[in-house]
Amino acid sequence: MIYILEKKELDQTLTSWSENFDVFAPQKVEKYSQFVPFKSFSELTFENPHNTRFPPKALFLPQTEVLQKYRPNLNQLQEVVQTPKPRVIFGVRPCDAQAVTLLDTVFNTQENVDPYWKVKRDASIVIGMGCTNPCQTCFCTTVGYGPFNHDGLDALITEIDEKYFIEVLTEKGKSLFTHLPPATKDQELQVHSLQLEVKENMPIAFETKNLKQKLDKIFDNDYWQTISESCLGCGVCTFLCPTCFCFDIVDEVQRNERIRNWDTCMFRIYSQEASGHNPRPTRRERTRQRLMHKYSYWLDHIGKIGCTGCGRCVRYCPVGLDIRAMIRTASNVKSEVIND
Amino acid sequence: MTDNGHNPYNPIPMHVVRAYFESNDHSLKTFELVFDDHKDCIEFFKNYNPGQFCQLSIFGKGEAPFGVASAAWEGEFVRFTVQKMGSFTQYIHTLKAGDSIGMRGPLGNGFPLAEWKGKNLVIIGGGCAFSTLYALTKHVHHPQNRPDFDQLIVIYGARTSGLCMYKHDIQSWYQREDMQIHQAIDVPEEDWLHHVGYVPDVVREVSPSPENAVAIVCGPPIMTKFTLPVLVELGFAPETIFTSLEKRMKCGIGKCGRCNIGPKYICKDGPVFSLAELNALPADI
Repeated sequence: MIYILEKKELDQTLTSWSENFDVFAPQKVEKYSQFVPFKSFSELTFENPHNTRFPPKALFLPQTEVLQKYRPNLNQLQEVVQTPKPRVIFGVRPCDAQAVTLLDTVFNTQENVDPYWKVKRDASIVIGMGCTNPCQTCFCTTVGYGPFNHDGLDALITEIDEKYFIEVLTEKGKSLFTHLPPATKDQELQVHSLQLEVKENMPIAFETKNLKQKLDKIFDNDYWQTISESCLGCGVCTFLCPTCFCFDIVDEVQRNERIRNWDTCMFRIYSQEASGHNPRPTRRERTRQRLMHKYSYWLDHIGKIGCTGCGRCVRYCPVGLDIRAMIRTASNVKSEVIND
Repeated sequence: MTDNGHNPYNPIPMHVVRAYFESNDHSLKTFELVFDDHKDCIEFFKNYNPGQFCQLSIFGKGEAPFGVASAAWEGEFVRFTVQKMGSFTQYIHTLKAGDSIGMRGPLGNGFPLAEWKGKNLVIIGGGCAFSTLYALTKHVHHPQNRPDFDQLIVIYGARTSGLCMYKHDIQSWYQREDMQIHQAIDVPEEDWLHHVGYVPDVVREVSPSPENAVAIVCGPPIMTKFTLPVLVELGFAPETIFTSLEKRMKCGIGKCGRCNIGPKYICKDGPVFSLAELNALPADI
């Protein structure tokens, strides 16, 4: 079912949701846009072709999060997992929503549910913003996803002229839009053909067929040395990545809190052991880990590529390393020259 | 909280009942912990299998993984031997009977005991990594478990006699008729009656038969590296050689990301792997 929301009514819609929900939407914060609580309509940036700098994964896995509060000396805990107020996350790009579904396979597994993740997921309604103007750095279709994919979304918006066409995808999503007029058959066709056209016009950045097998074969190759030479090891590619989820657990002694912080495989200390041994001592191994995780190990785990093609790592890398070029050249490396 | 109210990041409240030095240089200390709440105890032993590990946890000091060094039948306690390495283990070493400590676990897969039923066990350990092998040996020793396995050979090496762990108990193993014990130290010492030499050489000397046998190797990487080829030389198939790995860990439940070797997480898919499984993984160790 597709509903129609006039653009001029959006302000009022978001305001009315705010009565019952915490509403998050991409807004300008200092120089760049970010998902923050909805304050002012004029600051909304969700129509920008450039995605938010920080992916919305932070709304489920905050950059820093308290796991426990404890009473010193007694080793006693205070529970801090609290169910948040129901919330609407508005204007999420399909690549980022897709990424959240990938992270569900890490944090919401049968064997071990991460309660901090789950309470935030369960409390959220995610409204997607389809990409009618993909950027040059976008490559979602290359990795098997798409600019209007539904995964992880409760509703998806397609923008045409002065209207938002809202495809309702779940019961949760439906509850927000039933008061709106439905689209006609013709309008629905128009929406779907636009979606298809945009998708088909996105260039393919690299070939993914047999990519995993190719990468697995060149694990010991010098190629990783070559591509890691210009890397500074700053970790921005992983911090801004919507599918990166690694975290560190540390105790904040002054606040009596045990917290988790985003961590990154691009740092030496990430895998440094107490004995001094480090399985990934140089940027060669660390760059390899980042790429292999996304383009090989994720496939072992769930059969999907663990990169949704959002392009943030390409846009924000300070030395201009482009994951698309790295993968392209990796797949052309001859595996015969393995030096093991 | 989740539906079943379980938060895998919350440590189980425990306290120390016994703490004693294991080595004469005081670098190794053993702690026996008991549960503050009996419900946690029942839950723990419902799930515990030798070869698993736990995260020991002290608020304000940190958390780190340690292999369990006791078998379930030994009593309602959990034993760990901790080597003093960094700030956290230094703090643990100051704990004495009565002090509280948190624990998360049991974690990891443990030894595939069901798969080993009816087999000869060749247990090869070096240094403080022997702790989980000690748990395994203790498990096998129980009269109810002993018939599950055929011959039992234990080879245990340490740098010096002073670094040999669980001395008194292991001394009594020489009197047992249902097992062989071979202890070794790296360099000769006066009054040392057992093997002298590195573990791989002792394994070659003892030369255990691969017939209907599995070999379990735990030790420092350098020992493991040189022992595995000896076993292969003796005729052990890669599917019958097992080892337990370790890496830097944080969550212990396959979420924080850092302990992977290729697609496998040591905390969740391991720490016990067969050589056949390891051979299929990239050299990311």
